[in-house]
Amino acid sequence: MADSTIDTDVPEDVTAAELALGLLEGEERSVALRRVLAEPGFAAQVEWWRSRLAVLFDLWPERAAPSNVAARIEASLDGLATGTTNGTAAIGTAAIGATTIGTAGPAKVSRFPWPALAAFTSAIAACLLLFVMLRPEPTVPVSQPTPVPRPTSVLVAMLGDAKSPIAAVYDPANGALRVAAGPGVPHAHVAELWVIGGDGVPHSLGLLSAQPTSLAPKGVDRGRIAPGATLAISVEPRGGSPTGLPTGPVVATGVVARV
Amino acid sequence: MTRAYPDADAARAHLSEVLLRTGQEDRDAFRELYTLTSAKLFGITHRICGNAQAAEDVLHEVYLTIWKRAGAWEPGRASPITWLATIARNRAIDWQRAQGVRRTSPLDDAPDIADPGEGAEASLLASESSRELIECLNGLEPQQRDAIRTAFFDGVTYAELAIKRAVPLGTMKSWVRRGLARLKDCLDG
Repeated sequence: MADSTIDTDVPEDVTAAELALGLLEGEERSVALRRVLAEPGFAAQVEWWRSRLAVLFDLWPERAAPSNVAARIEASLDGLATGTTNGTAAIGTAAIGATTIGTAGPAKVSRFPWPALAAFTSAIAACLLLFVMLRPEPTVPVSQPTPVPRPTSVLVAMLGDAKSPIAAVYDPANGALRVAAGPGVPHAHVAELWVIGGDGVPHSLGLLSAQPTSLAPKGVDRGRIAPGATLAISVEPRGGSPTGLPTGPVVATGVVARV
Repeated sequence: MTRAYPDADAARAHLSEVLLRTGQEDRDAFRELYTLTSAKLFGITHRICGNAQAAEDVLHEVYLTIWKRAGAWEPGRASPITWLATIARNRAIDWQRAQGVRRTSPLDDAPDIADPGEGAEASLLASESSRELIECLNGLEPQQRDAIRTAFFDGVTYAELAIKRAVPLGTMKSWVRRGLARLKDCLDG
């Protein structure tokens, strides 16, 4: 059947509606999601369809939730609240089933050797940028000198252009993803970091700040930060994307490589 | 039934206020938000997940997400219930697709969703945008309207829609795409 191929003659606004409705899967969905990242006009059309179709929620029949769910949620929030000192940072640092982990507070960030990290990453930035430029398709890198992963190796991506790249370093050993200072964003907005792996779908890794940030991706997202995956930064409303997918312009992308 | 209008406005204003306070990490407001919205959101997760236990787990996750993200809700951008319902629908679809099984048979006990084209219900919908969308949907051919509504309410893909309606995938895509193009024209018109 010809159905497995991508239809190329579908109008842009129809594709946007297909994505907003959730009709697409596989490669078609991946292609559409990449367009959301790359084309602000297309992203705006997806958002337009989402908001128009959302009025159908009025028709959705209600169903009483089981009585124990409220207590489960309360218990989870009690767990989140343990040890909090600062509102937004506290929610971000506790990882109970959370999909998007917010930025850690400054106190946590200061534990990491940022000057050393910056020196380290700038030393490798040139070859990585060359690597990125020579390989427009985010596939498995062939320049990997040792195919067998060494347990001590970390993964690095340089996001953005050569003038002001943003370094991201991921240590699989402890699950820490350290990101240099995020890009400047407009008032009431925030930079959000995404990983796009083999499924082609952006998954939020958390929010960045003007200061270096350390994120602790949850288990399934850790697996997505692999050589060849793309990291991207989008500009989102304060608090992060409301939809679970990038909604604002993508300001920087980079490909993950092992060092 | 015109009294539904001020009631709906008052309910929306109240829900907005409760959501804003939840965004300020007010646990009491969050509890009230749950009381006001959990039946709606459970209706969504139950229909899409297709079983009660999964729907309950997803609902749990949805409210944790709401607690974390309520501060990001902008009153001017989306109505509070739309914002909440979108989170619930997206989470439920994520769960359903992560199972890797196609759900093509109807749910045992999921209620039918009223088609407002058949009655006076459209006129009772509070907002102008609701009426406009319903009227435009009613202008589509029946199979186009059915496919678009089913995609929305069941959270299914083209492939699942085609199996549900026992038509070739290409036919389903062409129904839906023509329907979406007409819907866009109507909404822009």
